[in-house]
Amino acid sequence: MPYLSILLTFVLFGFGALEVADLYAGESVVVYSGRAERLIKPVLDHFEKTTGTTVQLLTAGSTELVNRLRAEGARTPADVFITNEAGALELARGLHLLQPITIPAVATTIPPPFRAPDNSWIGLSGRIWLIVYNTNLVDPSTIHSLLDLATPPWKGKLAIPSANSEYLQDGASIILAAKGKKTAEAFLQGIRDNAGNEVYGKNRQIVDAVAKGKVAVGIVNHYYIFRHLADDPKAPIAPLITDQAEEGMGAIMNVAGIGLTAHTKHVSAANQLIEFLMSPTGQEMFAHINKEYPVNSSVKADPELPPSSSFRTSTIPLTRLAELREPIIQEIQRLGLR
Amino acid sequence: MVRHTRLNPLSFVGLGIAGLLTFPLAYVFYSALTGDLSQASNLWNTRLPELLTNTLSLALGVSLTTLTLGVSTAWIITRYQFWGRGFWDWGFVLPLAIPSFVLAYVYTYLLDTAGPVEQTWQWLTHAEARIPSPYSFTGALVVMTLNTFPYVYLLARAAFQNFNLSFEEAAQATGATRWETFFRVSLPLIRPALVASMFLVVLYVVSDFGAVSLLRFQTFTYAIYQQITGRFDYQSAALLSLLLVSFALVFVFAERWFRKQSRFYQTSGRVRTATPKPCSLAQGLAINLSFLLIFVAAFGLPVLLLVQWTFSAWMHGDVGTSFGRYIGNSVFLSAAAATAALALGTPLAYLASRFPSKLHMACLQGAYIGYVLPGPVAALALLMLFSTMIPILYGTVLVLIVAYLIHYLPAGLQAMESALQQVNPNLEEAARNLGAKGIRTFLQITFPLVRKGFSAAWLLMFLLCMKELPATLLLRPIGFDTLAVRIWLEASEELYQLAAPPALLIVILTIPAVFLLSKKNWQAG
Repeated sequence: MPYLSILLTFVLFGFGALEVADLYAGESVVVYSGRAERLIKPVLDHFEKTTGTTVQLLTAGSTELVNRLRAEGARTPADVFITNEAGALELARGLHLLQPITIPAVATTIPPPFRAPDNSWIGLSGRIWLIVYNTNLVDPSTIHSLLDLATPPWKGKLAIPSANSEYLQDGASIILAAKGKKTAEAFLQGIRDNAGNEVYGKNRQIVDAVAKGKVAVGIVNHYYIFRHLADDPKAPIAPLITDQAEEGMGAIMNVAGIGLTAHTKHVSAANQLIEFLMSPTGQEMFAHINKEYPVNSSVKADPELPPSSSFRTSTIPLTRLAELREPIIQEIQRLGLR
Repeated sequence: MVRHTRLNPLSFVGLGIAGLLTFPLAYVFYSALTGDLSQASNLWNTRLPELLTNTLSLALGVSLTTLTLGVSTAWIITRYQFWGRGFWDWGFVLPLAIPSFVLAYVYTYLLDTAGPVEQTWQWLTHAEARIPSPYSFTGALVVMTLNTFPYVYLLARAAFQNFNLSFEEAAQATGATRWETFFRVSLPLIRPALVASMFLVVLYVVSDFGAVSLLRFQTFTYAIYQQITGRFDYQSAALLSLLLVSFALVFVFAERWFRKQSRFYQTSGRVRTATPKPCSLAQGLAINLSFLLIFVAAFGLPVLLLVQWTFSAWMHGDVGTSFGRYIGNSVFLSAAAATAALALGTPLAYLASRFPSKLHMACLQGAYIGYVLPGPVAALALLMLFSTMIPILYGTVLVLIVAYLIHYLPAGLQAMESALQQVNPNLEEAARNLGAKGIRTFLQITFPLVRKGFSAAWLLMFLLCMKELPATLLLRPIGFDTLAVRIWLEASEELYQLAAPPALLIVILTIPAVFLLSKKNWQAG
């Protein structure tokens, strides 16, 4: 029976280790995060080091985590929820999974468009959904609007994110809210036809395809372009912010943000983390690591980025992304985007 | 050997275990069919045609390629004597140590636009030359073929080794050429092994999640995962699962039927097996070259790249102490699940082999349902079940172990069943007549006799659990990342260097299990 006894020891030892892990759970903040670990871990590590509060991190998809929070209900171990887009945060709020953040500094540091009406979640960094174009293949003055890319001249020249990309869903939602159902439908249909097989799971791959001239244009979040340029400064790519005309909808802006879970048992530790992320040090780390725009206006954006004062963003409140999510997914699915 | 078919106390244990294993699936079906069915027609119109075509064509394509590759390698190795034969004999089993998603991420790197292969090709031809994208049917076909042909190889090799030469000699004596003999006598005679290996390969392809999602090839299993993670209704996911599992069940029944139809027996008298024929130098060289090509593509090159990436990650200081924890988590989970599966599988296999009543056979068949249950579906079932019915256990390791159990117990159960069947019940009878109680008889008489078979079952389940990805992703407790999860998180960001150390560790940790399994003679029943 030596086999069996070895195995049993293994199992018992494992369960013992889990018990010990549970003991530590009392002094830590549990973070559910939809942000790539590489972008959030260094910031959390810094927080851990300076405050002594342990952070436990679970990384997964934003929507997947909303589902998880909902399934766990009052038993959730999560104290805060970090995502890369406001839609998932607002959905969580709508499902009563978040509670208002009561830190007084919120009102003064985070501009109202970038937080929930009841402060259940706050934005931490801004990202723009824009066009990346190959400077050898495209004359930027010919493109005025994101909607132009859905027209026939761009057939076979466009790369887009896959249908389950939350950025695509949010972007299309804003077009739907600003321009109506017909325009949104035509946009989705147009980019579907123009992109054909050039559908990518990762924004990075879209920028790559544009840089290599495989396609002429793509739709991505702005920082992927600057990240690519940081690795390869000579790459023939550039960002293009569109829809700036007087009657235009403005550039599509979204925020990465943080929410306080409704059932957290560690409010003060959670607040400590939120305060850190709002502070100048936290903001700088959180935004700069990914070349995003800090939401705290006292913190300057990375000098490589076009200054935020140089363009106008859409006026559609980010809170509307939640209610538009299901209709836009239905639409995306109905049109058969991949 | 049916003695009593009445209920005994063990029957309730068997029933309980079968219930545990089938209940989650029943729950998915229940939630798919209650509730709003308008989703169903929506799915039917938008997703289904593509998913059906993709899934079926991939399963068919991989079947054909693995059959060709697996049978030809097994034939050459069992029938010819050449230098290097001893190595290839077990070398072709090694690809089983590489998880499908690791192979997929290596190949996305190799075959991507301006990747190493395309650059080489451009250097050889002209600067604008393109190679086919790995994000396609072809990509999925190549990766799945290289990943699963060892199953066919193992089963075909065993069949050729136990093959009675008299049939071939009779064919050749009556004037058949060597090719005719191979296709019309040898191949049909190992049909049970071929069918069994096709069965394994098709179920593997259909339930694979990691490779198809990295290669962005939309199959049912991938679509189910996307539904669970990207949407807010589990019903569509449940509906898709219902369809997938139904198809798989049709396939399972077809295989059973085929097996019944084609029972044949070796003739009585002495069975003569083939003695390998010596090869000429040129033949030996040709065999070694082509084998090397297959081996490099399926194992050598991926491992070489993993080693190189791991080294560069190491130099950058990216391999930290946290890896100890990931190894611990992976090994603990897999060992616990394999052990639990052994514990739960034993009563089922024992009841079915010693008291084969209708009830006991049904319990056994019920346990096999997990075979056709892809990871995301098992995860979905447990997610829905635990969060609504036993929320206190949701998000604990236990849920994950149950998921592994459901999915991988069938793989081990087969080996356990055949091991138990080989034990003569008279021995147990004798022990009982001498006054030993049931449990004591099992531990002192039966268990030592089946130890080898059970160890093989344990190893197989351990190996599969180590490579499991989708259920682990969906159900893991906080801070409980396994090696597979780490690979996934890094590889889906295309951080090849960072994904390499955990990938290499999985390969190293599973090679001993693979090696031991390759030594077993896998006869298809």
